Amino acid sequence: MKKNKTDITKRKWFQITPGVVSEILPLLCVSAVLVPVFAISLPWPDQTKKYLFSSAILETGAQNLVSSLYLGYRAFDTLGETVVLLTAVTGAIMIIKSSVHTNNSYTFSQQNVPSKTRMLRTELLDTVTGKLGPVVLLFGFYVMLFGHLSPGGGFQGGVVIASAIVFLSLGSKSDGALVLTKPGVLLWIEAASFGAFLIAACAGMITGNGFFTNPFPSGFPAHAYIIFLNCAVGLKVGAGVSFLCIEMIQNKE
Amino acid sequence: MIILILALIITLSFYALQSRDLLHGTIALSAASLLSALLYYILHAPDVAITEAAVGAGVSTVVFVWVIRATKRKDDS
Repeated sequence: MKKNKTDITKRKWFQITPGVVSEILPLLCVSAVLVPVFAISLPWPDQTKKYLFSSAILETGAQNLVSSLYLGYRAFDTLGETVVLLTAVTGAIMIIKSSVHTNNSYTFSQQNVPSKTRMLRTELLDTVTGKLGPVVLLFGFYVMLFGHLSPGGGFQGGVVIASAIVFLSLGSKSDGALVLTKPGVLLWIEAASFGAFLIAACAGMITGNGFFTNPFPSGFPAHAYIIFLNCAVGLKVGAGVSFLCIEMIQNKE
Repeated sequence: MIILILALIITLSFYALQSRDLLHGTIALSAASLLSALLYYILHAPDVAITEAAVGAGVSTVVFVWVIRATKRKDDS
C-alpha cells in the first residue's frame, strides 16, 4: 500500500492518454451542439410562462409554480420518476443480496476497523451525526409538507429525509436502536407510500374527474391534493434512498 | 461571481476526472455539486438547489465513499 502511494505521487497528475481524449472529446461534441442553442439572440418563447403565471395558482392551488407543474400539470412524469427510482432500488438490492452470500448483516460500529479511526468515529461521527440527524429530519419534513408554498417539494424533502436517516443510522451506537433505520420498516414505508400515490392517482378516475386530479373538488381544496401527493412522493423517495444507503453500509464484505 | 463559480466547478470536475486517488475525486465532485447548488440558488432556482445539495453533495458522496471502502482506493491504470 505504501509503495503504491509513492508510485502514484511520482506520476504526473495530468498526462495525455487515450483515456483523457475519450473523456474530453464527448464534452467538446456536446458543447458544440449546445453552445449555438444558448448563444442565439432570438427571444425565448414565453407563452407557457405567461399562462402559468396567470392561472397555475387557481388551477392547482400551489403557490410554488414548480410544485404546480410537477404534481399538477405533469404529474404523470412524477409517476414515471418514482417508478424509475423503484426500479433502481430493486436492481441495487438484487446486486447487493446476490453478492453477499453469508447473511451476517453487521453494522458499521461493529466492524474491525483500526483502533484510531474507530476512536475518531465514536467521538466525532457519533456526536455530530446523532445530534444533526433529528434536525435534518425535521427540515426534510418541513420541505416536504410545505412544498406547495415554499421552495422544495416531495422529491427534495424526501432526499433530505433520506440523508437524515443515514445520519441517524451512522450515529446510533447499537444495532437497530431506532425504528426508522431498520431496513424492513423502510421497505414497508416505501411500499405503502407508493400504494398511496397510485391510489391517489386513480381516485380521480373513479369519481369521474380524470387521472391525477383532485377526486373531490368540492370537498377538498385544491392544495390538499398537492400536499397529499407531496407527502406520498417524499416518503417514498426518502424511504427508498435511505434503504439503499443503509443496505450498502450494513452489507459490507 | 457566476463566472468564478463556473470556473471553479470546471476545475473541480477536471480534477475529479484526472485524480488517481478516487477519494480525492469523490470529494472534488461533492464540492463541485455544492458549488453548483450555490449557482442554482443565485439563479433563483431554490428547488433545484435543495435537490442538488441533498443528492449531489449528500447521498451520492455517501454511496461513492462506501463503494470506495468496499473496493480499492487507488486507480491503478
